[in-house]
Amino acid sequence: MRLLLVFVALLAGCAATPPTQTPPPQEPAPVEAAPPASPGVPAPPAAPAAPAPKAAVERLMASARTDVAASRLGSAEATLERALRIAPRDPRLWQQLARIRLQQGQYRQAESLAARSNTWAGADNALRAENWSLIAQARDARGDRAGASAAQQNAERYGR
Amino acid sequence: MARRRRFRPYFRLGLLALALLAAGYVLYLDLRVRHEFEGRRFALPARIYARPLELHVGLRVPEDDVVRELRELGYHPVARQDRSGWYVRNGAQLDIALRPFIFWDGPQPARELKVGFEAGAVVSLTDAKGADLALARLEPLVIGGIYPTNNEDRLLVRLGEVPKVLVKELIAVEDRNFYTHWGFDPRGIARALLSLPTGHVQGGSTLTQQLVKNFFLSPERTLRRKALELVMAVLLELNYSKQEILETYLNEIYLGQDRDRAIHGVGLAAQFYFDKPVQSLTTAQSALLVGLVRGPTYYDPYRHPQRALERRNLVLRETRDEGFISAAEYQAARASSLGLNPKPSTGTTPYPAFVDLVHRQLRHDYDEDDLRSEGLRIFSTLDPRVQAAAEHALSDRLAAFDRKGRFGKPGLEGAVVVADPQSGEVQALVGGRDPRYQGFNRALDAERQVGSLLKPAIYLTALQDPSRYTLATMLDDSKFVWQPRNAEPWRPENYDRQYHGQVPLYLALAHSYNVAAARLGTTLGLDSVFATARKLGIERALPPYPSTLLGAANLTPMEVAQMYQTIASGGFRSPLHAIRDVTTADGHPLKRYPLAVAQAFPPDPMYLLTAGLQDVVREGTAQSLANWLPPVLGAAGKTGTTNEQRDAWFAGFTGARVAVVWVGYDDNRPARLLGATAALPVWGEMMAALEPEPVAFPQPEDVEKATIDPQSGLLADSACPGAIELPFVKGSAPKDRAPCAGNPVMDNVKGFFQRLFGN
Repeated sequence: MRLLLVFVALLAGCAATPPTQTPPPQEPAPVEAAPPASPGVPAPPAAPAAPAPKAAVERLMASARTDVAASRLGSAEATLERALRIAPRDPRLWQQLARIRLQQGQYRQAESLAARSNTWAGADNALRAENWSLIAQARDARGDRAGASAAQQNAERYGR
Repeated sequence: MARRRRFRPYFRLGLLALALLAAGYVLYLDLRVRHEFEGRRFALPARIYARPLELHVGLRVPEDDVVRELRELGYHPVARQDRSGWYVRNGAQLDIALRPFIFWDGPQPARELKVGFEAGAVVSLTDAKGADLALARLEPLVIGGIYPTNNEDRLLVRLGEVPKVLVKELIAVEDRNFYTHWGFDPRGIARALLSLPTGHVQGGSTLTQQLVKNFFLSPERTLRRKALELVMAVLLELNYSKQEILETYLNEIYLGQDRDRAIHGVGLAAQFYFDKPVQSLTTAQSALLVGLVRGPTYYDPYRHPQRALERRNLVLRETRDEGFISAAEYQAARASSLGLNPKPSTGTTPYPAFVDLVHRQLRHDYDEDDLRSEGLRIFSTLDPRVQAAAEHALSDRLAAFDRKGRFGKPGLEGAVVVADPQSGEVQALVGGRDPRYQGFNRALDAERQVGSLLKPAIYLTALQDPSRYTLATMLDDSKFVWQPRNAEPWRPENYDRQYHGQVPLYLALAHSYNVAAARLGTTLGLDSVFATARKLGIERALPPYPSTLLGAANLTPMEVAQMYQTIASGGFRSPLHAIRDVTTADGHPLKRYPLAVAQAFPPDPMYLLTAGLQDVVREGTAQSLANWLPPVLGAAGKTGTTNEQRDAWFAGFTGARVAVVWVGYDDNRPARLLGATAALPVWGEMMAALEPEPVAFPQPEDVEKATIDPQSGLLADSACPGAIELPFVKGSAPKDRAPCAGNPVMDNVKGFFQRLFGN
């Protein structure tokens, strides 16, 4: 939701920048293109914003935490995937899943999932630091010492 | 005397041998009877479910679509006391009484929900007492099965679940002495012979014999077969109780045909004809099913309602005559209508292309025999709403082309793949213009030239090296000849047969310039570009020629979808898959197909490539997409058109979906269609129907924006016409100012004074 707002704000920002009309083409228009939207057809409106699925995600995260505490990793994994279908841009879900993969010994998955979490982390540096620390552990477990220490440095940089 | 004495031992020996042989044969039959009975009794097709619709506050789904899904699930549109499986709609409020269902993660009990809608989204979700609920799952739709070779389908029922009156009707009509005979019934045969002249047909075969006939024997009518049937029936009776035989019979019996699917057993027949569980059948409905035993085609209640009604009433009369129902019950049942389920038949599946994909993926992990007999429950990723939108968009558009009448016969074909870019779950698959046709699955098997769809692999290869390439790097789109050793020179051309001189990289991509892409690709090296394609998910070896750069390579729509999934997720490849979970018939979890993610590319070049693909839509070959999707969504994609326009493609993504559309002829003749005019409209129409979300990748930390003059690829200011803001990896943006831009020193001085004195 917040991301959507940021995006809309960015677009609003774009609209205020210098006119972005394409100059008259010097070359004939490429024939692979279809004619652009006819001016008579109004562009469909952007979809209205829906309330965030906060309650659903929190509930599933809590349930996954209970599962992890009880060592039911398979069940926790299924629950987090369920939550991710609802909120695929929630970096905490990707991180929890990364942590489970680490516990399951699936180090490459753990690393990719933590990196996935980082792409949605925004300004949450604490979350980034945890992700880098997860990546460091995964690399270390795989025997990639150099990679692990580089990741650890990132973790410390964000952790400050 | 002596002769007789000599003969007698041989005679006895012969008798003994004969008896032994006969005994051996009977033993063999006994073994066979028992083996088949035990094995076949539980032969159940794997059942495939769609994804369950997950309701929660914030879900963007129109109320109409939820109601449609409830109807598809067979929910009744009126409240029913003490029963589940209904819904009531009060304006923007939907009350649902959910049926119990066993999900892969455990059972969900029956419960009542109140769901509030506003502006196409769920805004409240509570239980019957008004307490907030975080989540509620509807049970998933059954979308097909994996059937035995003869496409037998059944829903197993226990004898205790079958209404007593159904059993009574069956016995009254088919086998009155069932509980007392030994597998065959001389009285029944005699009665059958006697009744011949009256035209009142009595079969004479006991239920046991009918079961044997269905289980073990071919339908020919010879004396030898009749004798065999009799012996096996007796053996069955010796081995099993009447209850077991009856239960098996009720599950085995053939009761109808749904296109290619054979309806077996009263459990499935109850659902097929009346859309209810067998427990809820009325006396009249049970009688209809019992009447079908004699000839499901002849008495087909859909095609011959009058005939079926008469047969039903005959069953009711005989049941009354046997004293199994009262005269009053008989009168009431006789007066009722057939009460058939009006749902159109779907055959083995309404989604053959998707079920084909599920089946192929299951074959990696399961034995074919197990799939066809163990009654596995397969929870798939199909989203029926997405599937419906994809089917409609494809058939609408192809029908529109047909109306223009220049496409001849056989007509244009097409295929659609839709997936969730975050997980790789396939949400919809259309294998041709007739989505119910179980033939050639173009989404998986049509290997077609991909044209410009491969170009993103070239540009991504370049953008991974920001010291050499940015979106603003000027590329050379002038005449180009590639002279490999020992081969013909290659002279790529643009679609418009023009050269465009120096163009910034993002515009070369947006307008799909072939010459600039070919020159860039050969400069980077075919091997580097192919390595990028492989990392994007193209596993097939690409032809090792430069023409591959411009798409002279055959791929299936599914392979293209995999490539674009990696792009749409920002560089995280997830294998496209159609299955989430598999459980046993009684709900015990067997196997999960967990979310798998591999980071194939770092975020920075993916962010730049996505901006480039958004430019394709904003000002390039796909700008007509604005007819369907508002520009604010920032949809990204690429058109593809092949030589002589044999193939029209569009591949791209919005925030929550990645989709690929292919349109062309099966026989590969030129279609004279462009990706943008044939495939893009299907894509646009489909996406517009599915509450598209904006593409909103967060800008990576190492990326910054700069305003660029498209003429020179240099820094622009407000004096430059058509200036555009583009993302750059930090430090890689051009340092020099475009000729159109003002003097930087003067600007800085002006800026300094402005800051000093205000405007």
